[in-house]
Amino acid sequence: MGRIGIAHIYASFNNIIITVTDLTGAETIARCSGGMVTKSAKDEGSPYTAMKVAQTVADAIREKGIDRVNVQIRGQGGNKAHTPGRGAQAAIRALVRSGLKIGKIEDVTPIPHDGCRKKGGRRGRRI
Amino acid sequence: MKYLKIPMERVGALIGRKGEAKKDFEEKTGIKLDIDSKTGEVTIDDHDIEDPLAVIKMENMVKAIGRGFSPENAMRLLKDNADFFVFDLHDYVGKKESHLRRLRSRVIGREGKTKHVLEELTDSKISVYGHTVGVISDVVRMNVLKKSIDMLLTGSKHASVYKFVESQMKELRREEKMGF
Repeated sequence: MGRIGIAHIYASFNNIIITVTDLTGAETIARCSGGMVTKSAKDEGSPYTAMKVAQTVADAIREKGIDRVNVQIRGQGGNKAHTPGRGAQAAIRALVRSGLKIGKIEDVTPIPHDGCRKKGGRRGRRI
Repeated sequence: MKYLKIPMERVGALIGRKGEAKKDFEEKTGIKLDIDSKTGEVTIDDHDIEDPLAVIKMENMVKAIGRGFSPENAMRLLKDNADFFVFDLHDYVGKKESHLRRLRSRVIGREGKTKHVLEELTDSKISVYGHTVGVISDVVRMNVLKKSIDMLLTGSKHASVYKFVESQMKELRREEKMGF
């Protein structure tokens, strides 16, 4: 029986960061991000990169004896987009494919109780 | 357990004639749906299921139906690379009905022309419903579509939006041919 970890997936529009911790969330076991697996900056948030990031993380944690993870998925949040980026689904799928057991999947995007004003000013974003 | 709420008049579409649509969804994802047809509350039962992604797909599908898509179109979200996004028109204008109607008609076009062109070019589905614009597309084309609808809502001319989408799609096709 292997140990259980938490996979924190932060999928923004331009990047993806996966951090695997133990159940307390205080001890980091493995970490990988878009820039660590791809060279061009524009690909950092793409689904293909997300897949590679997830695979790297999965290999790393299997070596350290974790075979079961709960997933906490997070988009940018706050007063920005509330939905996780396009890499999120690809990352979970890659984690499943690599043979890890997935427990709970949770959306932990921070949602304001009506906090700050959105960026862009009164007349909206102008291009 | 996940809880969603959809508009009352969309509950019928989610259930379907004699429960057909609901049954179809449940069979394809392996998840039970619990629909309260008095309030429009939908409960997704996510206890011990095999495919962890199915819950996300199911959630998206229910949301899509709530935003005016037909069950057949919502089924597109079962594909692995499908993506769903909702624009809120309140992000662009205030709550004045005439402003909302102007934006809605900008996305739809005369006799649905704009909507039709965008759907054809990017092979996706668009639904304009109330104060939202819902989009079902695959992950790669979604970027182009999102940007073009954003252009329409912020006030670009239709001709320049069409030009933009066409050039971007050409680029995408070329990249695909080169192999990723």
